[in-house]
Amino acid sequence: MKQALILVFLTVFATSAKAAEVMRMAVTTSFHNSGLADVLLPEIAADLDLEVQLLVVGTGQALRLGRAGDVDAILVHSRMAEEAFVAEGYGTHRREIMYNDFVLIGPSDDPAAIAGTDTAATALQAIAAAQVGFVSRGDDSGTHKKELSLWADADVVPEGAWYNAVGAGMGAALNTAAGLNAYIMSDRASWLNFGNKGDLVLLFAGDPVLFNQYAFLPVNPERHGHVKADAATRLEAWLASEKAAGLINGYQIGGEQLFVFNATP
Amino acid sequence: MVDLFPLTLESAETSRRGKRLIGPLNLTLSGDGICVVMGPNGSGKTTLLRLMHGTARLTGGRVRWACDTETARHDQAFVFQRPVMLRRTVEENLAYPLRLRGVARAEARGQARNWAVRVGLGEMLERRAVLLSGGEQQKLAIARALITEPALLFLDEPTASLDGRAMREIEAILTAARASGTRLIMSTHDMGQARRIADHIVFLLGGQVHETSAAESFFAGPETAEARAFLNGEIVE
Repeated sequence: MKQALILVFLTVFATSAKAAEVMRMAVTTSFHNSGLADVLLPEIAADLDLEVQLLVVGTGQALRLGRAGDVDAILVHSRMAEEAFVAEGYGTHRREIMYNDFVLIGPSDDPAAIAGTDTAATALQAIAAAQVGFVSRGDDSGTHKKELSLWADADVVPEGAWYNAVGAGMGAALNTAAGLNAYIMSDRASWLNFGNKGDLVLLFAGDPVLFNQYAFLPVNPERHGHVKADAATRLEAWLASEKAAGLINGYQIGGEQLFVFNATP
Repeated sequence: MVDLFPLTLESAETSRRGKRLIGPLNLTLSGDGICVVMGPNGSGKTTLLRLMHGTARLTGGRVRWACDTETARHDQAFVFQRPVMLRRTVEENLAYPLRLRGVARAEARGQARNWAVRVGLGEMLERRAVLLSGGEQQKLAIARALITEPALLFLDEPTASLDGRAMREIEAILTAARASGTRLIMSTHDMGQARRIADHIVFLLGGQVHETSAAESFFAGPETAEARAFLNGEIVE
């Protein structure tokens, strides 16, 4: 409990303008780092008269906040963990909203030669075979879980001096990778928004397994009577609306679209 | 087979966060056989191998091959002290580099079986590689590197922490590779091993090439006091 409280206090609270109602939503660092929240929150406030306070944490911690009833909803990207969250009765349901993709970043001279590989699995096998530095989030986040699943798909157990698990958010992990001139997996949005690229470049993308689905999960009011279920319902409807689709699909950095809206009505 | 040698390092160095790890190095390696890189802990043996192989960043100077760098890198392999095994069978691990190069599955499988026999793993084809002993994993890693018939094989402390039997078997594999024309550049802490298999010695100290000579003359009478002290088992820094 103490650990959870500390994390909440360390959390970045991003809020929109003053509104009649306030709710809390735990979101992933990768979503927050993308900058999309800055586009969506003011529109939500204007349309729904609802202030959404974001608790920015890794997916694992976001789910823990939901389980504890510290937030009214979560927006994360780790399907298996999300389905378990709903199955355990902590969330009422899971609704897919949008996706972006993960990319493999590394030194511009690409010592493991992953740029020419065909699949994410082959790229990771090349990194492991060359035992060149790889930085992992190592923080139980959705991105970390995804990375581990990709290593498993590649039949590689990532361990050894070359594999550096930093236990940090996406920005800090990218900074570490830039400092070590190492490989790292990042969501595309965080990478595009990252300002300290050093000698790192995007080396591999496009394998469908790098698909990164974001889903909205309202916290179950039967578990925690104090959660603002009505506000969460209104927010979900807005996130699945045509207006949200336009804003999400239209959000670009450096001319690149970061997210693809795919909520079903 | 493409001729990679002579390999020349010209004022080559690598630094990280402003700290020079090794160099500037001037070194030319030519000829055949096994070149052993020796030196005390922290002298830069692993970094030198990585620098030559291209997996450590060159921050100054250059590494020059007899052919173009891309061809040279394609024709070499690296075996680490703790190799990464794919969570697959011995046979699948051996076939993997061939499949990556587009070799048909049946052909790759046949070569994998041949190599498994050559390195003494013929009875373990279906065994999961991650469940092998340290010595067996190292033999598999060397066979997996040699299966593509590279012109050059780097090995970083390939027998560290292995027992005498595994060490003997691996040295036999390495000398067989030498006999078939593969050039080997390896680091070792083991003086006895260097005496047994080295044709050429590069002695590193403090990130610099301190002495380089034919193995026979190095062990018979090193040129420098530091190398003599190292061979006598003294602490050298």
